[in-house]
Amino acid sequence: MSTSLDAKPNYLNYPRLSREQARAAAAQLIAMTGDGSPVHDALLPRIQRFYLREARLLDEERHEEWYAMLADDLFYWMPLRENRFRRDKRPEFDPDNMALFDESKADIAVRIGRLASRLAWTEDPPTRHVYLVTGIEAFETAVVGEYEIHYAFVQYRNRSEHDAAMLCGRRRDLLRATGDSFQVARRMILLPQSVLLTKNLSAFF
Amino acid sequence: MEKNGDRAVTPTAADWVDWEVGTVDRRIFWDQAIYERELERVFARSWLFVAHESQVQAPGSFVTTYMGEDSVIVARDDDGINVFLNSCPHRGNRVCFADSGQARQFTCNYHGWTFGLDGTLRRMPKVGLYKSTPGFRMQDWGLKRARVADYKGLVFATFAEEAPELEDWLGDFRWYLDAVLDAEAGGTEFLPGGATRSVMGCNWKFPADNFVGDIYHALWTHLGGAEPTLGRHGGMQVENAGSYQVSVNGHGWEFNDSFLGNAATMGDRDLLRYMRSRQEAITARLGKFRADMWGSVASATIFPNFSFLPGYFTFRTFQPKGPLKTEIHAWTLVPKDMPDDIKDRFRRGSMRTFSPSGLLEMDDGENWEHSTSANAGWITRHQRLCYAMAPGGDLERNDLPGIVSAGQLSDANQRLFYKRWAEMMDAESWVDIPVAQPTAGAKVDA
Ligand code: FES
Ligand SMILES: [Fe+2]
Repeated sequence: MSTSLDAKPNYLNYPRLSREQARAAAAQLIAMTGDGSPVHDALLPRIQRFYLREARLLDEERHEEWYAMLADDLFYWMPLRENRFRRDKRPEFDPDNMALFDESKADIAVRIGRLASRLAWTEDPPTRHVYLVTGIEAFETAVVGEYEIHYAFVQYRNRSEHDAAMLCGRRRDLLRATGDSFQVARRMILLPQSVLLTKNLSAFF
Repeated sequence: MEKNGDRAVTPTAADWVDWEVGTVDRRIFWDQAIYERELERVFARSWLFVAHESQVQAPGSFVTTYMGEDSVIVARDDDGINVFLNSCPHRGNRVCFADSGQARQFTCNYHGWTFGLDGTLRRMPKVGLYKSTPGFRMQDWGLKRARVADYKGLVFATFAEEAPELEDWLGDFRWYLDAVLDAEAGGTEFLPGGATRSVMGCNWKFPADNFVGDIYHALWTHLGGAEPTLGRHGGMQVENAGSYQVSVNGHGWEFNDSFLGNAATMGDRDLLRYMRSRQEAITARLGKFRADMWGSVASATIFPNFSFLPGYFTFRTFQPKGPLKTEIHAWTLVPKDMPDDIKDRFRRGSMRTFSPSGLLEMDDGENWEHSTSANAGWITRHQRLCYAMAPGGDLERNDLPGIVSAGQLSDANQRLFYKRWAEMMDAESWVDIPVAQPTAGAKVDA
């Protein structure tokens, strides 16, 4: 069961995580260190297929199909990166800090709504995207059917004539088995840039 | 050779800007020589925002930022907040590479000179090597300090000895600033985690003039971003009835009396419910006129490059990085005594709308980039831009300080922004720059 995008959605009624739920999700992502037991050999190719398909759907602006790959209790987080001294005792990632994305599924729906409105002039003509995902590692978690995923990505955007941006980063996902596929339940996106060397993040990660 | 060439800046800036008719020469968004003069005559003379005091609360806490293109350290010691250049006087290396943190001192990586939280030179490795140098005194070689002053939590600095006091620089704009800085008792703070920073390929004046008085663009630029939260073609409600522009010394604010028109686009009902619950108390504190500005459809710029949006409470500097590049540093300001859950809703709401991933901000950047890059064309750049909407400055209201215009849909504030810019660009020294006399303190402090 998942919330699909209505023809005429009222985004305000879409599910949003409570702050406590979001904090718990962030804590879970922070604690993912890739030290668990790797998933069974038969499972890994299915997981890889899931991520290759996700990348392709995003490249092709098939946002509604991509949206169906997200769990209803999605927590989608891109923390800010700060330059700090190594001696600095503050935790590097804190869910109470300013972030670049800190979203529930409802917020993703609003973003898709912006693009679907055909009123987002800066996406018309459209941006061309190429998403590369690589180095996918998958581990068992304490919950059967939930997997801890680590991988790296390159996201290249090009629009208009000279407008190009390339963002590389790492993602950590909590991936949940649903029937014969999966859904992303939590996602932490780590860009290495402290100053974003691009004007915006008009893309899904 | 004119393209970014360093030919002399003639004629005068007053020729670049006709603030009465409302035209602006496009070369001011392109020309390297004009940009160099801006660094000297606008940025190095202005009071510039450097930090909110909540960022440097405990002794030893510091942030680094920029004043113009000068990197500076903002550090608190036992006596207060110090602002000084982040460049070692020995061979010039950058001293502090962290964006924020706690320090007892700052040590330069190159030869190890060590500076105190007030910028003074405290220690040097093998200091005895300087013993034989006639007249050498450590106190001559500290990090250059700026003047520092604050207004209700916002800390400003300037290296201009001859600049007027901050209170005169802000003047009567302070009375309006209280609508966001003093709406609630207990002061304000920046939400934690540092600044959201991003780079745009635009001249810094485009975002600054957008925030000082261009609500007009929101009716078109932001249709796509507003549609999913406000409904198709609903957009923002912007009318000239019940709305204003005010300008003081080039600072400007355009606003209406909707109390939470801006806030509504964050699409968070609980947040709006909370804000409404505060309306009575804020009205009692500020009076109805300013209370209605708290979260209304509005934007503002403190000259030259510090802007904010009531309602989202995003505060940002447009840091110049050459004539064709601007770095946006943004924070979210909230009343300190606000419940944590509400602060968090502002954190997410401002991020969702006005940040590099923000539904509304994403629509802005490309406009400013292409308004800038189009000037590569020689014919193009020898045109003038139109800032001619509505005469403005026409509203005589004894109770409202500054130059007041009826209706927020006009170019009045932007013309006054460029008037200020031209005054500073042409002035040989600070004495030639006019400063509006603040009206009776009672009004401003009310
Ligand atoms: S340059 Fe800083 S100590 Fe030499
Ligand atoms: Fe805008």
